[in-house]
Amino acid sequence: MKIMTKFMKVLALMVYLVFALIPLYWIIITSLKGPKEIYTFPIRYLPTSISLQSYKRLFTFTNFTIYFRNSLIVSLSASFGALLITMFSGYAISRYGFKFKKYMLLALFFTQMIPTFMIMVPLYTIFSKVGMINKLTTLAILYTNMMIPFSAIMAKGFFDRIPISLEEAALIDGCSRVQALFKIVIPLTLPGLSAIFSFSFVNTWNELFLAVMFMNSDAKMTIPVALNSFISKAGIGWDIMSAGLVIALLPTMVVFAFAQRYIVAGLTKGAVKG
Amino acid sequence: MKNKNSKIFWIMITPTFISVILLTYVPILKGFIIAFQNYNLFNLSNVHFIGFKNFWAVFSDTNFNFLRILLNTFLWVVISLFFQFILGFGLALLLKKPFKGRGVYSGLVFYPWALSGFAIGLVWAWMFNGQFGMINDILKRIGLIHRNIGFLSDPKYALISVITTNIWYGIPFFAIMLLAALQSVPTELYEAAEIDGAGSFRKLFSITIPYIKPTIINTTLLRAIWIMNFPEIIYAMTSGGPANSTNILATQMINKIYNFYDYGQGSAIGLVIMAILLTYAIIYLKVTSLKELEL
Repeated sequence: MKIMTKFMKVLALMVYLVFALIPLYWIIITSLKGPKEIYTFPIRYLPTSISLQSYKRLFTFTNFTIYFRNSLIVSLSASFGALLITMFSGYAISRYGFKFKKYMLLALFFTQMIPTFMIMVPLYTIFSKVGMINKLTTLAILYTNMMIPFSAIMAKGFFDRIPISLEEAALIDGCSRVQALFKIVIPLTLPGLSAIFSFSFVNTWNELFLAVMFMNSDAKMTIPVALNSFISKAGIGWDIMSAGLVIALLPTMVVFAFAQRYIVAGLTKGAVKG
Repeated sequence: MKNKNSKIFWIMITPTFISVILLTYVPILKGFIIAFQNYNLFNLSNVHFIGFKNFWAVFSDTNFNFLRILLNTFLWVVISLFFQFILGFGLALLLKKPFKGRGVYSGLVFYPWALSGFAIGLVWAWMFNGQFGMINDILKRIGLIHRNIGFLSDPKYALISVITTNIWYGIPFFAIMLLAALQSVPTELYEAAEIDGAGSFRKLFSITIPYIKPTIINTTLLRAIWIMNFPEIIYAMTSGGPANSTNILATQMINKIYNFYDYGQGSAIGLVIMAILLTYAIIYLKVTSLKELEL
């Protein structure tokens, strides 16, 4: 009986593993097959030879280096921006018993229900009035804004778990509020803050629709916008597409691998308290 | 001590305040107004109020049957959520007890969580491809089908194909959340139940589930909202087609804006989405008697 349950458990774990990995395996294999072998029958699950032809074509046929650079600039600056801003507001919400604290949290939570497309054109109007269309800065600002509500909620959750008595002791010792925050509270919440950062990086790296709306020249495209344009672009088949997809997927996977523990703690204890 | 430093607190909170108001709430108000206007992106010189006409136009659209879109939205949310939850919960239960290599294993099964829905939609579109897709190939090899199925081009299969992709994508979210909750259940509870002779199922239903109920409620609530507002996978795989068969409210909104440049009707659909979500959130919280959404 015991062996039976153990066997079932291992079997179930294997099934989950295979199910989770198949899409990744398939897209990587496709990208390494080379343009011809992709479209041959019968389908080969192990390529006869590894070819980097698709990647070569991706970087010569399209400006993928530029897209990658754009994505990196926008995601990193937005993640830093959102972290910097919500580090303070999360702390303030957590520590200060102002009357509309509850409403503030609800207002932040409510933003999660708003479809991006609903605010897109109004935003476009605002930014075009000040001549800020098709600029990486604009996208970074929009992404910072996009990440602020959830980051603030997460940050508040992290600060809630730091006992107030620690800061009170520091204040008695003559520290100012801001000093207490930087010397005592922030070092204790570093894992949480890195979770917020990684969460923002993942989400901004993956964002498609705002970028499509605001970035209309090839030199300003981010990776998702580029992939979207590949769909209808002549001369681009599944060879280039699969190589592009692998490169689009890798960075967030790496971030996730490193930050998984913190993100999990951040999401579970900060945002959704059980 | 709470009110002494109020000035500093206001300074700390102001950037968040300004950002949320200026770049989210002001645009959303404008979006509200646009929903009642004739607002075509190619004819911006002729913007004027038209009452509820955008809504009627959306509801009575003969090319994109609205009831079908509502049904698709319902199926998209409910089926995806159900299987994401069940399979995610199952995975969390499997991972509850430590075993050798659990860290690496969870990294390998959780990674879809970090991926772009749009990119994943494209990957699965390639897998479901009617000619060169691996899913057709495997089904043929094991003899389940004899001729290729147009998973994304046949209205009979398209919705189930995009939902399958969404299920795959969403399992890690529930597994991660529920695993953390499971690990917070005090082991003494299980020990006591074992002394009373409770079996695994008994323990699951009378200890585990009641104990992690708040997490279950919060995660399903958040996830339902999120799935309803999540057009990326469908957009990448079918764009709502073929013949409206995978069109949900969120993709119809994109369709109206991208293909018809009709931002008025697009915003009207946006309002419908928000109204449904708000009603849903209120009812859900009332029924599950969770007085305050704890964040």
